[in-house]
Amino acid sequence: MEEKGKPCKKLFQGNLCKMLTALLVLVLFLLSANVFAESTPSDKKVKKGEFDAGKVIIDHILDAYDWHIADYGDTHISIPLPVILFYEGDRYFFFSHKFHHGKDAYKGFRIAADGPKKGRIIRVLDDGVTPDPDASFIFDFSITKNVFSIFISASLLCWLLINVARSYSHCGPRRAPRGLSSFLEPLILFVRDDIAGSAIPAEKVDRFLPYLLSLFFFIFFNNLMGLVPFFPGGANVTGSISVTLTLSLFTFMTLHLFANKEYWKHIFNTPGVPVWLKFPIPLMPIIELVGVFVKPIVLTLRLFANITAGHMIILGFVSLIFVLGNSGLVMGLAISPLSIIFVIFMNFLELLVAFIQAYVFTFFSAIFFGMAVPDEHH
Amino acid sequence: MELVTPGIGLIFWMTLSFGLVLVILRKFAWKPILSTIKEREAYIAGSIRESKRIQRELAELDATKEKLLVVARGKAEELIQQAKKEADVVIKNAQKQAREEASKIIENAKNSIFAERKAAEREIRQQIINLTVDMTRRVLQDEFTDVKKNNQYVEKLLGDIQLN
Repeated sequence: MEEKGKPCKKLFQGNLCKMLTALLVLVLFLLSANVFAESTPSDKKVKKGEFDAGKVIIDHILDAYDWHIADYGDTHISIPLPVILFYEGDRYFFFSHKFHHGKDAYKGFRIAADGPKKGRIIRVLDDGVTPDPDASFIFDFSITKNVFSIFISASLLCWLLINVARSYSHCGPRRAPRGLSSFLEPLILFVRDDIAGSAIPAEKVDRFLPYLLSLFFFIFFNNLMGLVPFFPGGANVTGSISVTLTLSLFTFMTLHLFANKEYWKHIFNTPGVPVWLKFPIPLMPIIELVGVFVKPIVLTLRLFANITAGHMIILGFVSLIFVLGNSGLVMGLAISPLSIIFVIFMNFLELLVAFIQAYVFTFFSAIFFGMAVPDEHH
Repeated sequence: MELVTPGIGLIFWMTLSFGLVLVILRKFAWKPILSTIKEREAYIAGSIRESKRIQRELAELDATKEKLLVVARGKAEELIQQAKKEADVVIKNAQKQAREEASKIIENAKNSIFAERKAAEREIRQQIINLTVDMTRRVLQDEFTDVKKNNQYVEKLLGDIQLN
C-alpha cells in the first residue's frame, strides 16, 4: 500500500542507481588488482641502459606470440603459445618459445623487431635476420596472447552467465535474484530496457536482445580483463583493431540479416528528399551506401581507440617512473607516488570507460538495428 | 602502423570465439534468464493488477455493504415503526376487548347482583313476613291486652320495615 505511486517516479532514478551500484561494486572488486598495476610493469620494464618508453608502451599494447609474465634478471618468464602458420601450402605448428622471445628465427620464420610488420611473424632468409623480399603472404593463425585471452575470457563469461542462468531457472520467476544474478540483473535490464528498448521498436527487440546482451557483456568483460595487470588479464583485447573490427562486422552482418524492405528503400530511394538528389546523379543513394559501411568502421575505431588510449595513458604514467629513474634513482622515487596516484586515478577512469565503451558499442549497434527494422508505415 | 593493421589470425579466432559465445549464451544463458525475468515481471505486474483489483473489489464491497446497511437500517426502522403501529393496534384492540369484556363482566355482575338482590329482597320480605307473623304472634300472645297500643306498635313496626 505504501509503495502506491512511488514506482513510476523512481523508475529513472532506479536505473541510474542500478548503474552506479554496479560500477561501484566493480571498482571495489578490482581495486586490489589495480594496486598491483604499479609493481607488475616495473618487473617487465627494468632494463639496463636506456629506457624507451614509447617502445615499451607499444610492446604492451600490441599482440604477442607468448604471454609475458615477468622478468627475473635476464630470465624472461612467459607462457609459450602455439604458433600456427600456413605458408606456400605448408603447415607449420610449433610453440613460440622456439623464437626465444623474438631473438631467434625458427624454420625460416622470425618475429619482426621493427618495420611495418613489427611484432608479426615474417619470413626471413637463411641468415635468420634479413626479411625475405620474395616472401608471399603468411597465413598466421597463431594462438597469440590476444587470442588466448579471448579464449579465457569467453570461457569465463560463458561459465559465469550459464551459472547465472542456472540459478535463474533453479529459483524460478517467483524469487528475487540473489548473489551474482542480483549483480548482473541490473546490467541485463539496462541493456534490455535502456539500450535495446530505447532504440528498437518494442515488438522487434526480442530478436536482437541475445546478440546485444552477448555483445555488451563480451566487450565489458574484456575491457575489465584488460585492466587487470596480471596473467589472465592484461591483454589488450578490446584495444586490438582486429577484435573491434570483428565485433562491428558481427553487428554489420546481424543488421543486414534482419534488415527489412524499408531499410533498403531508405538507402536507395530515400523518402522526403527532392528527386534531383537521386536522379540522374544518385547522390543520396551514394551517401547512404557510404553510411552503411562507415557505421561499422566508426564502431571499430571508437572502441579500439578508446581502450588503446586508456592503456597507453596508464602505461605512460608507469613509464614516467622509469624514464625519470633513468636520470637518477632519487628522481624515480620522487615521481613514483605521483605516478601511482595518477595510475590509480586512471584505472578508476578506465573502469568507467570500460563500461561506457561497452555501452556505446552496444547502444550504437542497437540504434543501427533500430534503423534496419523501421515500421513499415513510414 | 602495426597497431591499426588487422591480423587475419586474430580475426579468424575472434570470429570463431565470439560466434561460439553468441550461440552458447543465446541458448544457455539469455533464453532462461530473459524468460525468467519476463515471467517474473509478468508475475509482479499480475500481482499488482490482482491486488488493485482486490482493492477495487473491496472498495466496491464496502460501498455495497454501506448501501446494504443503509437499506437494512431503513428497513429495520420501518419494521420497528410498523411493529409499533401493529402493537398499538393490538394494544388498542386488547384494551377495547378488555373494556368490553370488563363491561360485560360488570354487566353480568350487575345483573347477578340485581338478581341476587331481588332474591335477597324476596327472602328478606319472606323473613320479614315470617318475623312479622312471628312478632305478631308473640305480641298477640304476650301483650294482647292493649290492642290499641299494640296495633299502633305493629303499625309502627310495619312502617319501619316498609321504610327499610
